[in-house]
Amino acid sequence: MSGVFAGGLALADQSPPEELVVAPVSAHEDVLRVEHLAKSFGQVTALRDVSMHLKKGEVLGLLGDNGAGKSTLVKTICGFQKQDSGQMWLHGQPYEPKSVQHARELGVDVVYQDLALIDELSVYQNMFLCREERYSRLPFLNGAKMKREARKVLNDIGIRLPRLDVPVARLSGGQRQSIAVARGVYSNADILLLDEPLAAMGAKEGAMILELIARLKQEGNLSIIMILHNYVHVLESCDRVNMIVDGAIALDKPTAETSVLELNEIVVEQYRRARQAAQVQEVA
Amino acid sequence: MIHSDPDAAAPARGEEQPRSAPRAVLSPWTLIKRFLTMREGSISVVTIALIVYFSLSIPAFFTSSNFQTLLTYFTWLAILAGGEVFLMINGEIDLSIGGVYLFAPLLFYEIVGGGISLVPAVILTILVCTGIGVVNGVVTAILGVNSFITTLGTLFALEGLTLIVSHAEQLNMPGSAVSTSANGSSHLGTFASIFGAGVYSELVWAVVIIAIMQIALTRTRWGLHTIAVGSNRIAAAEAGVKVRLVVIRNFMVCSSLAGLVGIMEAVRSQSISPDPSSSNSVLLDAIAAAVIGGTLLAGGSGTIVGAFIGALFLGVLQDGLAIKGVNADYLDFYLGIAILFAMLINVYVGRVRRRTGVG
Ligand SMILES: Nc1ncnc2c1ncn2[C@@H]1O[C@H](COP(=O)(O)OP(=O)(O)O)[C@@H](O)[C@H]1O
Ligand SMILES: [Mg+2]
Repeated sequence: MSGVFAGGLALADQSPPEELVVAPVSAHEDVLRVEHLAKSFGQVTALRDVSMHLKKGEVLGLLGDNGAGKSTLVKTICGFQKQDSGQMWLHGQPYEPKSVQHARELGVDVVYQDLALIDELSVYQNMFLCREERYSRLPFLNGAKMKREARKVLNDIGIRLPRLDVPVARLSGGQRQSIAVARGVYSNADILLLDEPLAAMGAKEGAMILELIARLKQEGNLSIIMILHNYVHVLESCDRVNMIVDGAIALDKPTAETSVLELNEIVVEQYRRARQAAQVQEVA
Repeated sequence: MIHSDPDAAAPARGEEQPRSAPRAVLSPWTLIKRFLTMREGSISVVTIALIVYFSLSIPAFFTSSNFQTLLTYFTWLAILAGGEVFLMINGEIDLSIGGVYLFAPLLFYEIVGGGISLVPAVILTILVCTGIGVVNGVVTAILGVNSFITTLGTLFALEGLTLIVSHAEQLNMPGSAVSTSANGSSHLGTFASIFGAGVYSELVWAVVIIAIMQIALTRTRWGLHTIAVGSNRIAAAEAGVKVRLVVIRNFMVCSSLAGLVGIMEAVRSQSISPDPSSSNSVLLDAIAAAVIGGTLLAGGSGTIVGAFIGALFLGVLQDGLAIKGVNADYLDFYLGIAILFAMLINVYVGRVRRRTGVG
């Protein structure tokens, strides 16, 4: 057990400082609870011991350095991969998704960091991948219906594309990302995981997505975990913020009680401590 | 600032731009260009040109009797190529179809010899072939062996098994015997005329199978997921596509078709010839037909109809050169050149297609 991985942090032999205390996992209003989740890839420990929770209607911002394990956490919750140890609960019931499709049936959907778009398929085919519309009696795809619904969804969000039957390979990074987000948002999920949904977007597209999320929050049915890098966006769009450091949740605070300054401070502090630890090792 | 430099133009391209808005007014030239940039377009033109050339230069070519000969060159090949295309779109390849093609009629022979009647024996044989596909699929998709290697293994194993069981001796194909009636006219049994020996039997099978598979590819979830897996396996898995199942299923279909073709070709020739060199060339012809038809080995895209046309092209070439009396040694040479040429056209057309946005 050492914290050598995750960006070279070596904190294993240091007790966590006072301000980085995980809030007790709370009550029945939680739609999702994760306890003591661990996941390694060979030698790399991506998640060491993650416990967190998500309340109904809440937007939870998830922060953490590159390689901290954010995507791994999201991919575990959405059923893409299985944890090595630890449990999850969905609406108070034990939650053990067997596949992405299974998680989706249970109401958990995801927008991956890599978007999971198929270049060769068209916009509407991507939007309906794995939930294709078919004719009621025949096993054939109902392309017209999918196109129509995809158009409606994209219009609703404010994404304008001249054609929906072109391969997504031909779209810009921001357009591709909006399609991935649209696919996740209009999936009838009640828990949505967004892994860096603004990464490839320009300011205008980003604002559009944040506005969409604000709208969904107002409706109050959807609970969201959103990985973001921009602290301003986090404070603006999220109710609460969690930070992953070294494979565990190191901070859990309502956004109202924190600030860009504090978040920055924590990260810088982490960095300093890591460097000190490295120097100590060098000297020794 | 009339000429904007490409860098400045690039972001504008991403923005919405009603470029293809006036769709109603298509000039003939645009239509021709569209057709040529279709995956099947260029090989269709080349095939028609070849047919015209042979028709003009050989009087015996454009005749109904030669048409019947031509059928024996390409119909079965189209079926094999169709199955192969599905796997190639999936990003896999199946070399074992050669082995299945060789093994299936022998297995059929043994099953019929065991006292089972013809049609159930066909079904049983094809089911065993489906099982071979399951083995290929499981070893490839679940155990993670590259499909080229997996199916190279099953190819050799099946060809070897065929030689062992048959003692490398030619056998009479059950159900293919031609009976001669009292007045001297020969008569094909119903079984034989349906499964390969009837003049149009294999053509009907080929057309029906190709049509079903083309529809499956373009209009069903199975086809969509096959394209998704072949285009980006990780993304497909993330989106929830059951990647392994899709791959295994396509191996099953490919093997089953190879079994069917093996039986039909044995019925047509009335004999089982356990000769791996002929089945290896059958295998390579099927891959050639798929590739010439516009399917890339890279996965993610391809066309079943193209495979049919690719097989037709190879058939016309072989038939025409044979009638012309071209030495068999030249045949392979021309064939090789034709494959390279067709591939160059496909690559070029693919590039044009991506540039012009003709889906
Ligand atoms: N499939 C995988 N195989 C091997 N290592 C992985 C895999 N996925 C993630 N990792 C490793 O786990 C760590 C956490 O990765 P990730 O969850 O993607 O981080 P983040 O999203 O926070 O940037 C990294 O060190 C990464 O290299
Ligand atoms: Mg990530």
